[in-house]
Amino acid sequence: MDFFGSQEAARRKTSILVVYFIIAVALMILTLYVVAVGTLTFANSRGDNASVGLSWWQPDILLLVSGGTIAIITLGSLYKTMQLRAGGAGIAEQLGGRRLQGNSRDPLERRLLNVVEEMALAAGTTVPPVFLLDNEPGINAFAAGFTPGDAVIGVNRGTLEHLSRDELQGVIAHEFSHILNGDMRLNLQLMGLLHGILLVAIIGYYVVRGSGGGYRSSSRRDKGGGQIILLGLAMIVIGYVGLFFARLIKAAVSRQREYLADASAVQFTRNPDGIAGALKKIGALSAGSRMESAEAESASHMFFGSFRHSLFQSLSTHPPLVKRIQCIDPHFDGDFAAAVKKASRKPPKEKKEDPQSALEGLKRSLGGMAAAGMGESRIPIDPVIVMAAVGAPTMQHVDYVHGLLDRLPEALRDALHDPFSCRAVVAALLLDGDAGIRARQLQVVHAQLGDLSLQETNRLAPLVEAQGAAARLPLVEIAGNTLRDLSPSQYQTFREMVIELVKADAKIDLFEFALQRVLIRHLDQHFHGHKPPKVLYLAIGGVKHEVSTLISALSHLGHADEAESKSAFEQASAAFAVEKVLVMRARGECSLKQVGEALDKLAQSSAAVKKRVLNAATVSVIADGVVTIAEGDLLRAIADSLDCPMPPLLDATRRSM
Amino acid sequence: MLTAILIVLAGFVGFIVLVGLICIGIYNGLVSLRNRYKNAFAQIDVQLKRRYDLIPNLVETAKGYMKHEKETLEAVIQARNMAYKAEEKAVANPGDPAAMKGLASAEGQLGGAIGRLFALAESYPDLKANENMLNIQEELTSTENKVAFSRQGYNDAVTAYNTKREQFPAVLLAGMFGFGGAELFEIEVEKEREAPQVKF
Repeated sequence: MDFFGSQEAARRKTSILVVYFIIAVALMILTLYVVAVGTLTFANSRGDNASVGLSWWQPDILLLVSGGTIAIITLGSLYKTMQLRAGGAGIAEQLGGRRLQGNSRDPLERRLLNVVEEMALAAGTTVPPVFLLDNEPGINAFAAGFTPGDAVIGVNRGTLEHLSRDELQGVIAHEFSHILNGDMRLNLQLMGLLHGILLVAIIGYYVVRGSGGGYRSSSRRDKGGGQIILLGLAMIVIGYVGLFFARLIKAAVSRQREYLADASAVQFTRNPDGIAGALKKIGALSAGSRMESAEAESASHMFFGSFRHSLFQSLSTHPPLVKRIQCIDPHFDGDFAAAVKKASRKPPKEKKEDPQSALEGLKRSLGGMAAAGMGESRIPIDPVIVMAAVGAPTMQHVDYVHGLLDRLPEALRDALHDPFSCRAVVAALLLDGDAGIRARQLQVVHAQLGDLSLQETNRLAPLVEAQGAAARLPLVEIAGNTLRDLSPSQYQTFREMVIELVKADAKIDLFEFALQRVLIRHLDQHFHGHKPPKVLYLAIGGVKHEVSTLISALSHLGHADEAESKSAFEQASAAFAVEKVLVMRARGECSLKQVGEALDKLAQSSAAVKKRVLNAATVSVIADGVVTIAEGDLLRAIADSLDCPMPPLLDATRRSM
Repeated sequence: MLTAILIVLAGFVGFIVLVGLICIGIYNGLVSLRNRYKNAFAQIDVQLKRRYDLIPNLVETAKGYMKHEKETLEAVIQARNMAYKAEEKAVANPGDPAAMKGLASAEGQLGGAIGRLFALAESYPDLKANENMLNIQEELTSTENKVAFSRQGYNDAVTAYNTKREQFPAVLLAGMFGFGGAELFEIEVEKEREAPQVKF
């Protein structure tokens, strides 16, 4: 199932989830009602000898019980959902996480950040912020957020310290698979909903504690006190019934996805030893993957490893550890300690150590380099392959990104990860070739950011330019993460500067457009709050105007010749629908501004619609079999605007602009 | 009769629930703003530590040429160690008034000591020309800029937090929930305000 299919499937699962939830609540009310009726009848019949028949239909009590239960559950779910609006970062902080700074000097933190950055660039998503849970000695990790654009990754202290780089990469790849498979949103909804059910048990616990739990003096032990304790106990029991159902629901929804994420991770890294090694280390470590934080229970389904050994398999959020390892490494015999010892005795599979694989790695990244505009390779690019790669990055993408990042000079890398200098890097990326415009732009930088930033920009500009056109979008993606550390007012100033720099040449080119869609859009969401995305358009009909604008613009932008652009449009249109729904617009009628607006609307359509739109866009860009780097960047920016992560384009016949 | 009681009870409970939800909203808002300034301080931490790491190198390089200026050099090392300690305290408790003021004053002292060192270095032409010295100077300048920048970010975040905390209705609950006021990071010594840019 491809990226779009799994997004749709995740959405459908949400409806099933709601049904399960309603059934669970109904059963809880029923149980509580039965207990209440039983208790009251029993209590009444003790007090007076008149035989009060056990009447099972007592509407007053039913009303009270159902009203109370529904109120508590609604409260709990509402509370959690409100909390979750803070997004992934909120959850990470609740679990005691601390956000890692991009320019951290701790070597372990640096290693983790590098791994996450590599994976994110390879997958085509923004680089997520990484949270470290300092107080958790176990090996575990999670990913949370509503879309790939606002995802965060959380990692336990134990993971940081115990795993090798390959194993770390395996775990992070697993988490990225969750992000790309549409699990995260579902997980957050689960979390919000189920918290209400858990609340009943929590309240019951407090009721029992509050009413003395038996330590009060015997004079208190009148009927009223006894009944309250009984009620509290009943609530605890009911709460545990609820907990049972909650875990059942979580398990039903999440367990299959764990196998899937493991499999995707192996595909992503092409290195089964990585994730298998991590799982084996979890088995060998006494702390395992357990979490100390109490909050973690409600998020248990979002983590890499399970928290506890459930008595009943059906209640576990994760498949059994041994089974997971055997899916990846069939020879595993269940002995964790031996496996870990063996792995530590083997020399680490660093790519640099093995000359053969180093050569292969070099060849692969050179292949990427060739495609990166340093030469012309004759391998055509195929829209089908590009679409298949959406949400499904492979080792080739990782290698390409790794090579690209390795080639960055250290000064540029440092600047890119430091909020102060990163602004200068972005400014340098926007500098025009024409001397007059460039001078004007530098004045803007000076006016907005000051002397020192101007010096930085001048210092970094030659370094940035030396990287070539293919590195521009990855640099922007890294910058997008670093600039999150700006304060809101610092961001405002920066944003104004970017807009002015873009305006300086009185026209907006493809890279500038891509930069705005990828950088500004995500940072705007970060600083002004993102709302969970709504799906408003389920069919093409509602958005055909926007799609026409988009495809027309792409056709015109890629081809100066009218006939060529018309042909590109027609190919795209053919790929799009059986009947002709798209109307080509004239060159003047589809400015990039309108494209931006169209994209904003298209971002709210269903995954199926997005797939077709993206497919058509890909076809129109690739129509003549040649993709320039700028077109490639534009295509990826469009994919990003639709929240569909598209990995870097490889094997393209590219001409540098 | 029972129904009437139930309705009143329900209304009362509903009111409590509403108040509860509002309180939760306020609490979450304050937590979020507090995390933001704590995070902003983490960035200052990175930059300050980088600066502290540069200073021993600076002193070592200068020592070779300024053999008779022991006091000035030692003053720099001592100021650096004091600032390091003060910074550790601040990292443990970002925004705490005592810790922040301690750090600000220690940083002020350090800036003054470095400034005096550079002023003295004017009379040592060999030192001025030394390549290592020039590199360290450039790194120091660059780090100073970044410290200033991250300080600005931190102060922005602290101001946002303090404002929210002092407004109604958060002001009613802040004390109860344990949200103290956060302190800005302002450095008082003028010499420190400019990056020690000695024009050779």
